[in-house]
Amino acid sequence: MILLALALILQPNIPNEAPGIMAALTQETVEIRENFAGTSLVLYGATRGLTLRDEIVVVLRGPNQDLRVMRKRRSFGIWVNAAPIEFDTVPSYYAIASSLPLDVIAPPEALARNGIGLETLLDPAIDPNHEPPDESVVASYRAAVLRAGSRHALYAETPGGVDVLDGGLFRAVLKLPPRTPVGNYNAEVYLFRDGRPVASRTTSLRVEKAGFERVVYEFAHDAPMIYGLFCVALAMLAGYLASVLFGRD
Amino acid sequence: MPACSISSNAQLRGSGAVQIYLPIAEISVNIFLLLGLGTGVGFLSGMFGVGGGFLLTPLLFFIGIPPAVAVSSQANQIVASSASGALAHWRRQTLDPKMGGLLLVGGAAGSIIGVQIFTALRQLGQIDLFISLTYVGFLGTIGLLMFIESARSILRRNRPAPRREGGVGHSKRGWIDALPFKMRFPRSGLYISVIPPLVIGLFVGTLSAIMGVGGGFVIVPAMIYILRMPTNVVVGTSLFQILFVTALTTFLQAAQNQTVDVVLAMMLTVGGVVGAQFGARAGRHVKAEELRALLAIMVIGVCIKIGLDLVVTPADLFVVLPHGGGLPQ
Repeated sequence: MILLALALILQPNIPNEAPGIMAALTQETVEIRENFAGTSLVLYGATRGLTLRDEIVVVLRGPNQDLRVMRKRRSFGIWVNAAPIEFDTVPSYYAIASSLPLDVIAPPEALARNGIGLETLLDPAIDPNHEPPDESVVASYRAAVLRAGSRHALYAETPGGVDVLDGGLFRAVLKLPPRTPVGNYNAEVYLFRDGRPVASRTTSLRVEKAGFERVVYEFAHDAPMIYGLFCVALAMLAGYLASVLFGRD
Repeated sequence: MPACSISSNAQLRGSGAVQIYLPIAEISVNIFLLLGLGTGVGFLSGMFGVGGGFLLTPLLFFIGIPPAVAVSSQANQIVASSASGALAHWRRQTLDPKMGGLLLVGGAAGSIIGVQIFTALRQLGQIDLFISLTYVGFLGTIGLLMFIESARSILRRNRPAPRREGGVGHSKRGWIDALPFKMRFPRSGLYISVIPPLVIGLFVGTLSAIMGVGGGFVIVPAMIYILRMPTNVVVGTSLFQILFVTALTTFLQAAQNQTVDVVLAMMLTVGGVVGAQFGARAGRHVKAEELRALLAIMVIGVCIKIGLDLVVTPADLFVVLPHGGGLPQ
């Protein structure tokens, strides 16, 4: 990957060349092992025909999930979850790094058209039995999803997180928090010129459990009954050992 | 968009090498925090002779373990602690296997019902509320009753008055004696209907699956005050019943919901076993009724805390629930 980047630098930099962008991650898989407490990834890239008007946006998105957001209402003095709105296919991880603040790089419509910015991806699922909720109501639910994700650093936006280096090279550091969900990730790299994307590239990343974590997880999901019996047997053994060890007081 | 990833830095920095990633809960927690929680609750459980699930489950929610995983793994941990306790009572013959077996039959049915209720409420998005309400209801009632009872015995001890009603009155069982299907329980010295033990077992089994507790704090008073069993067999028999009900709950939660985190359960077990030994030793230096009063105060404290959380305006008025047990929460 880095060789690729080097090859690109060595290319003569001709002005007015058609803009292009290449990118690669330092790792293609992130392994979650028993001591996993978050990690960082570096995304390297090279651009062709980079001009002073150009800016770079990097989006890393994790596997999708369906969410149900509920608003707490007070009834009989206690707070109860009510008024659910469903959001389908919401990224479980979503990080944006950019060479400048996003609102400077492009107008919101241009970002939305390319699916940049988590807000643009949060559409409430349509329920045929109910009136579609009011837009102002949906906005507050959307904000709640963003708050919940950023609380665990699953959603992050880093303006200035893309360092543009000499010779059209750039790099961005992306953080994966302790709660990083497993699955397939996509890193999208955009080259914006005058508020419009002129080139883009996608690379993929896989986050998976490895070693002991993987063994336990697969055991629990592939053979749930045997796993259940195993857990019970292990606990009984632990109890027996404890009574022998500390026994007859 | 939310602010940038500064919050993750704090988490990363504070972690070091002592974090452990829980394969089923899918979060990374401090290993000493888990061992410490296990030891602390084990200490209290050894001191008071209760499972301690009612304390540990809310604490696990608090450190960010998803409720479904906390409840199921907690049941697994109680298997270990009650096995060790039940074995000790078995050796001392302070365990009524016949009564325990009967409670267990009810308990098994209750456990199955409880797991179904749990799954259904989780789909409705109301599991948190339901768990909180059951906690407030049970802890409040039992804590208060226990507190009144122990305060009375402390007062009675200080100012010795003639004991009239006292202890275990075989004659005063009333309506229970009127029930059919009577059976003899030689170890407990009882001749009563099988219906009350079955119903109590059913009830505790259901609670165990929903609340992630062994149910000792319900079954012990029920055996003393409803079944009128002699106190020396109550704790052993309760542990016997709890052992099998939590074993079944663990199995069902693992098979149906895949929410048992064996790593979490084992960490808590290791802490719990050690803590319980120290707790049992510390408990011998305190008088029985004072112990009960302390336990009552603790139970009421947990109840008030959970109750306040239901009433006080939450920091975030929205909850984000995954469809099918992921994050964020």
